Amino acid sequence: MRWFVFLALASVAGLGAAARTAAAADKVRVVATTTDLKALTEAVGGDLVEVDALARGNQNPHDLEVRPSLMVKVRRADLLVMNGLELDQWAEVVIQGANNPKVVPGAPGRVDASQGILVLEVPTTRVDRSMGDIHPVGNPHYTLDPGMAPAVTANILEGLARVAPASRPTFEANRKAFLGRLEEALTRWTATMAPVKGARVVVDHNLWIYFLTRFGLLQANSIEERPGIPPTPGHLTKLIAIMKEEHIKVILSAPWSDQKLAERVAQDTGAKVVPMASGVGALKGADTYVDMVDYNVKAVAQALRQ
Amino acid sequence: MRVWIGLCVLGTTLLGAVPAQAQEAEALRKELEDMRKQFEAMKDGYEKAINKLSERIQAIESRPQPSPNVAVPSPAPAAPAPPAQPAVSQAAPGGAPSLLDLAKPREPFSLYQQRGSGQLLFDMGVTGDFVGNLTQNNVQKATGGTFAGLENLFFPREIELSLFGQIDPYARAEVRFEAGEENRGDITVSLAEANLSLMTLPFGTQAKLGLMRNRFGLTNPIHEHDLPFIDRPNVLVRFFGEDGLVESGAEFTWVPPLPFFLELLAGVFNGNNEVAFGSDSLKYPLVTGRARTFFDFEEWGALQLGASVASGYTADRLRNTIVGTDAKYKYKPDGWQHALLTLAGEALYEIRNVNVTGPDANGDGVPDDPASPHTLHRFGAWAYGELQPFRFGPLSLWSLGFRYDWTEYPQNPGHEWAVSPYLSFMPSEFLRFRLGYKHTARSNRDGINLNGGSARDVDELLLQATFILGAHPAHPF
Repeated sequence: MRWFVFLALASVAGLGAAARTAAAADKVRVVATTTDLKALTEAVGGDLVEVDALARGNQNPHDLEVRPSLMVKVRRADLLVMNGLELDQWAEVVIQGANNPKVVPGAPGRVDASQGILVLEVPTTRVDRSMGDIHPVGNPHYTLDPGMAPAVTANILEGLARVAPASRPTFEANRKAFLGRLEEALTRWTATMAPVKGARVVVDHNLWIYFLTRFGLLQANSIEERPGIPPTPGHLTKLIAIMKEEHIKVILSAPWSDQKLAERVAQDTGAKVVPMASGVGALKGADTYVDMVDYNVKAVAQALRQ
Repeated sequence: MRVWIGLCVLGTTLLGAVPAQAQEAEALRKELEDMRKQFEAMKDGYEKAINKLSERIQAIESRPQPSPNVAVPSPAPAAPAPPAQPAVSQAAPGGAPSLLDLAKPREPFSLYQQRGSGQLLFDMGVTGDFVGNLTQNNVQKATGGTFAGLENLFFPREIELSLFGQIDPYARAEVRFEAGEENRGDITVSLAEANLSLMTLPFGTQAKLGLMRNRFGLTNPIHEHDLPFIDRPNVLVRFFGEDGLVESGAEFTWVPPLPFFLELLAGVFNGNNEVAFGSDSLKYPLVTGRARTFFDFEEWGALQLGASVASGYTADRLRNTIVGTDAKYKYKPDGWQHALLTLAGEALYEIRNVNVTGPDANGDGVPDDPASPHTLHRFGAWAYGELQPFRFGPLSLWSLGFRYDWTEYPQNPGHEWAVSPYLSFMPSEFLRFRLGYKHTARSNRDGINLNGGSARDVDELLLQATFILGAHPAHPF
C-alpha cells in the first residue's frame, strides 16, 4: 500500500514537472548577463519569456568567475542579452564553453543592450592601464539611469522579435506599458530629487555617473583612485581633505565595495555612507527595476536632505 | 509635278508640327519648373532639418537640458524605437551643474562622446613571465633543478604574444607565439598554439582544429603564466615533458542539454610529445578523451570533477596510455571578488609498453638477448591549496599556497616527492609576483647523475614575476 501511495505521488509529481517543462518550452528562453537586464527583458517579454541572469544583483559585474554552471544556462538559451561596453566580457568565455550556436557573436540570438545609448565618460585621450582597469569605450553602468530604459528595451524588443517574430505586437505592448509606468515613476523621482539638485557626492567606484547626471547631482570624487585598484593612503588623505573643505556629506557605496573603508572615510569627514542598490536584487527592497531606482532615489535624497 | 506635290505635303506636315512641338516644349518647361520648386522645397526642408539637428547637438554638447521629459531619439540604426512611446528621455539628463564640474575629477574622460573608433578586428595581448631560482651547486651540476639547465638563473620563461578573435560568424581563432630561455643564454621563439574553433555546429557540439594545448586534466591546458603556482606539477613534467601535452590535431566537444554541466571531449592528434607519444603520424594517432562535470553550491563554493585519457604510441610505436582524474573546489563567499580558499588535485596513471633489452656482455654493441616487450605501470599525483583570506585592503592582494607532489618516473625506476609553499602578491589583475620554496627528494635520479653531480635532495628558492599587457580573456573556473 505504501509503495502504491509513493508511486502515485511520484507519478503526480512527474506529470507536474513534465507539464511545467512543456509550458517553459513554449517560452523564449533568455539569459541576461545582469539582473538589471533580466528585469528589463521580463518587462518586455512578459509571460512569453523565461529569463535567467548570470550575475547576481549583489555581485560585481565587472569580473565574474566563469563557472560551468553559467554555461549550462547559456547552453539552453534562445537569446542572450549583454550589457556591452566591455562590462561583461567574461560572458564571451561562458559562450565559448556553452556550445550554443544561437548566441555566438554575430548570431541573431544576441543582444547588445548598449546599442544606441549615449555613452558617458568615453576616454578622449590615449588611455592605458596606468589609469587602472578603465573601460576604454565608456562607462558601462547605464542601466542605473531609468532614462536609458527606452533605448535598452528597444534593443531587447528587437532581439526578442528576431527569435519570436509572431509575438512582436505583444512585446511592443508590454514595452509601452512598462515605459508608461516608468515615466510616471520618473516624474515622481525627479520631484523627489529636485530639492537636492546640484549636490556633490563621493562614490566608492565610478558606478553612478548616469544616475547622478540624470538627477543633476555631481560626483565630486571617488574613494577608488583608479578603477579596480585599492586606493593609496595619500589619495585617501587628499579625499578626506576635499570632502571636509567642500562639505561633502554623502558617500554612495555598492554592496560589493569595501564598506569598512567607506565608513572610515565617513567617520573622518562626518559624512554618511549610503548603501546603494548597484543592480536589481542587490539589496532588500530593490527586487524590481522600478524598486531599484526607487530605492536609490529615496536613499540619496534622504541622505542629502539630512 | 510630283515634286511640287511632295513639297506641298512636306510643307503642310511641317506647319502642323510646329504648334505640337511648341506645346510639348511648354509642357516640359512647366514640368521642369515644378521639379525646380520641389527641389527647392526639399532643399529648404533638409536645411531646416540639418539646422535643427545641429542646434540639438550643440545644445547636448554644451549644456544638457534640465527637463527629464525631453525625448531624445535613439541614434542607433539597429534599434529603431517605436514612434508611440512614452516620453521618458534617454539621455541629455542633468541640470544645473556644468559639464566641466562633472568631468573635473575624471580626466581624461569626457561626457557624451561617441564610442571609440578604430577598434581592431581581433584582440591581442602580451604576457611576460620571468622566473628566478637559487639552488645548490651540485644540483646545478646535475641539471636536476625544477628548471633543468637553468639553475641559479633569472630568465624569461615565457613571453607570449596572443592574437584571438572571431574569424567570421561561424568560427574563432587564436594564435600564440612564445619566446623563452630554454637553455642557458639561448632564447627561442616558437609557435605555441594556432587553432580555430567552429562555434556553430549542431546539437551542442564544437570542433577545435590546429595546434593546441590539449584539454587533459586541470593544468595541462593552462599556460605557464596562468598557472596557480610557479612551476608545473612534477607529474605533468615527468609524464609529458617541460612543455606539457601540446599537439596538432582536432578536438570535439559536446555539451548535452542537461540541467547540470557535463562536457564530453574527444580528440585525434599526431602524437608528437617528447616523453609520452612519439609516433608523429595519423597512422598511429594519439586519441584523447575527457569528461568534466560541475557542482555549484552557490555560497558554499563550487566543485569541478574531471577524468581524462590519452592513448597513443611511443617513438618505438608501442602503445602508451595515460589516464587521469582531477578535482577542484573553490570557496568564494558571497560578494567576494576572489576565492577565499581553493583546493585542487590531479592524479595520473600510465600504462606504457616498452622493449626491454638484455645486457651486452661481450661488448659487440648487440644485446645478448633479443628485446622483449614489457609493460610499465607508473603513477603520479599532486594536490594544492591556496588561501586568500582578506576581502579588502592591502592584505587582500596577498595569498598563500602550498603544493605537494609525488610521482614515479615514466621509464626509469624510482620516484620523487616535493613540497612547495609559496606567497603571491597581486598589485592588480595584470601584475603578479610570487616567492616560493621547493624541496624535492628523489629515491634515485631520473636516469643518471649528469656531470658527476647529484640531485637527490634539491632545495630551491623560486621567484616569479608576471605581467599582462593588453587583452586577456577571462579564465574559466
